[in-house]
Amino acid sequence: MAISLAESLHLGILDILTRKVRSAVTVIGIVLGVMCIMVVLAIVNGMNKTTMEWMSQRGGLSKVEVRPNWGYDFSKGGDPSLSLREIRLIRELVPQATAFNPQVSLPEAEMQVGDSGYVCPVFGVYPDMLKVEEWKIAKGRFINEFDISNHNNVVVLGSTVAKELFSSRDPLGRYVSWGGHRFMVIGVLGERYMKNQGGGETFGENGLEYLNRRAFLPLSTVISKINPKLRISSLELQAASPEKAKEMRKQVEEIILNLKQGKALFRVDSAQEQMDMMRKNSMIFTSIFILIAVISLLVGGIVIMNIMLASVKERTREIGVRIAVGARRRDIVIQFLVQTVLITALGGVVGILLGYAILDLVGGYLKLEVVASVRMIWTALLVSIGVGLLFGIMPAVRAGRLDPIEALREE
Amino acid sequence: MAEIIATKNLIKDYNLGKVKVRALNGVDLTIEAGEFVAIMGPSGSGKSTLMHIIGCLDSPTSGEYHLDGVLVSQMAKDDLASIRNSKIGFVFQSFNLLPHLNILKNVELPLMYAGESLRERSRKAREILASVGLSDRLRHKPSELSGGQRQRVAIARAIVNNPAILLADEPTGNLDSQAGGDILEIFTRLHSQGNTVIIVTHDKAVAQRAGRIIRIMDGRIEDGHLTG
Repeated sequence: MAISLAESLHLGILDILTRKVRSAVTVIGIVLGVMCIMVVLAIVNGMNKTTMEWMSQRGGLSKVEVRPNWGYDFSKGGDPSLSLREIRLIRELVPQATAFNPQVSLPEAEMQVGDSGYVCPVFGVYPDMLKVEEWKIAKGRFINEFDISNHNNVVVLGSTVAKELFSSRDPLGRYVSWGGHRFMVIGVLGERYMKNQGGGETFGENGLEYLNRRAFLPLSTVISKINPKLRISSLELQAASPEKAKEMRKQVEEIILNLKQGKALFRVDSAQEQMDMMRKNSMIFTSIFILIAVISLLVGGIVIMNIMLASVKERTREIGVRIAVGARRRDIVIQFLVQTVLITALGGVVGILLGYAILDLVGGYLKLEVVASVRMIWTALLVSIGVGLLFGIMPAVRAGRLDPIEALREE
Repeated sequence: MAEIIATKNLIKDYNLGKVKVRALNGVDLTIEAGEFVAIMGPSGSGKSTLMHIIGCLDSPTSGEYHLDGVLVSQMAKDDLASIRNSKIGFVFQSFNLLPHLNILKNVELPLMYAGESLRERSRKAREILASVGLSDRLRHKPSELSGGQRQRVAIARAIVNNPAILLADEPTGNLDSQAGGDILEIFTRLHSQGNTVIIVTHDKAVAQRAGRIIRIMDGRIEDGHLTG
């Protein structure tokens, strides 16, 4: 003599349909809470994924980078640069580095071929640059040891530079002039493009496209022929694994501190540690938003409880009639509980759909990658059902406890 | 004839704060299957309390109550729900139909709690509604019907599960004399078809229809005599 779950659902749907506006108002808090959770989680997921991709395509998590420490007070003396001699010393001290690329960046100037010119950043590098950046050569070859030891006047162009200067012509073996010097083009680099467009460094533009606008010269050539005063301010190393990179970071940091008499002129970072830091930051960010969403769900739940209590009061007579014709206490409790849970679950579904709509807008407008997973949808749905159960039980139990005689007397 | 209702020394006390009120003070009552009985008494006489106990909406403080051969006076609430569902059909003064359900759904209600299939519910409810002349109003809401029609729906709901007794509380109290007369006709017809009908009323004209009038006063039954 029990009424089945299907029957309860049927009753619940009828109840909701008879009180559409009230049900909609009841559930607004849940809709907003679920929507918030969806949007925040999807954006954070997307950002994490984008960062991971950006890092892995720029040398991965085994990379160690040495850069000037802009937090250091340079008025105390010292200059964040390394000489070629110091670079060679570091190389000898970290033989385990699988790639080693010191780098100088030259001021932007126009690179010319005949009448056409293109302003691009130019770098002096080692052959290992390709390995460190996990870059491929598209045409010709990259700078090699021979170019370094002979201080050759050769240049390797990024794909955009080659296109701008030579359009469809073959640049190999041709000469470009830059800063009053002539360089022979020996190679063109493959195009860098981040799959699954995401923000990365810049919103709206592909996260790796800036690399295609660079040109590269042998480091030795830059220092000996272009500007002997130029010092090396950036060094990239590759370790065998992310774990080894952490050790190597410490080692390189110590070496450089010793070279610079204990002055922290440089920052040494491992990609793995940067990644950990970013993860931690995004965790904090996520937690705060989840907390806000949970508060909104709780407030939504309290609103639901209130409205359901009012609804039980208003439907006292109906409850009395149901009891008189044979409903057990349990049937009444289930009827109201199922109704509450149905409302919150529907609210959850609407929240998920709204969340998707917003993600679509945000993703499209900001060119921000968003990652909404099936797990998130289930979580959102379960959370809204949970809120329904939690805040629906009290009004439902109260309905089940009504004395039928009193209930039937109620006007 | 078989006894459908048999009570022995029914006592019902209410605690109103510190004061104890005795609403029923030893009621012995027997009703045979197929009888048409009216229970009369002024307000405060214990008439409503007796009706609630007979209808299994309430339990006596002490005493025994056998309904259709089953001792129900000490039953748990959920078991009483099942008894109400299968053995008792209620008709109230104010109809007590569910306003947002159409009349077909209203009549199906006891069958739902009895666990009948959707199809069986609909079949039985249609059949009963036809017997009270409301076949053409199945999809109407109670608010779209006249008082007399509403009470006929309530009667249909009360008898749809084929109960042992039909228990009506002032069924004509909210109706004009014409509609009230029609409703009493239905009760008379149901009685003639073998149903046990109990009407609680203070209206003599209504009580005259019954085969027996039970008068209650100060929580006791005064006398029970046939009206002829």
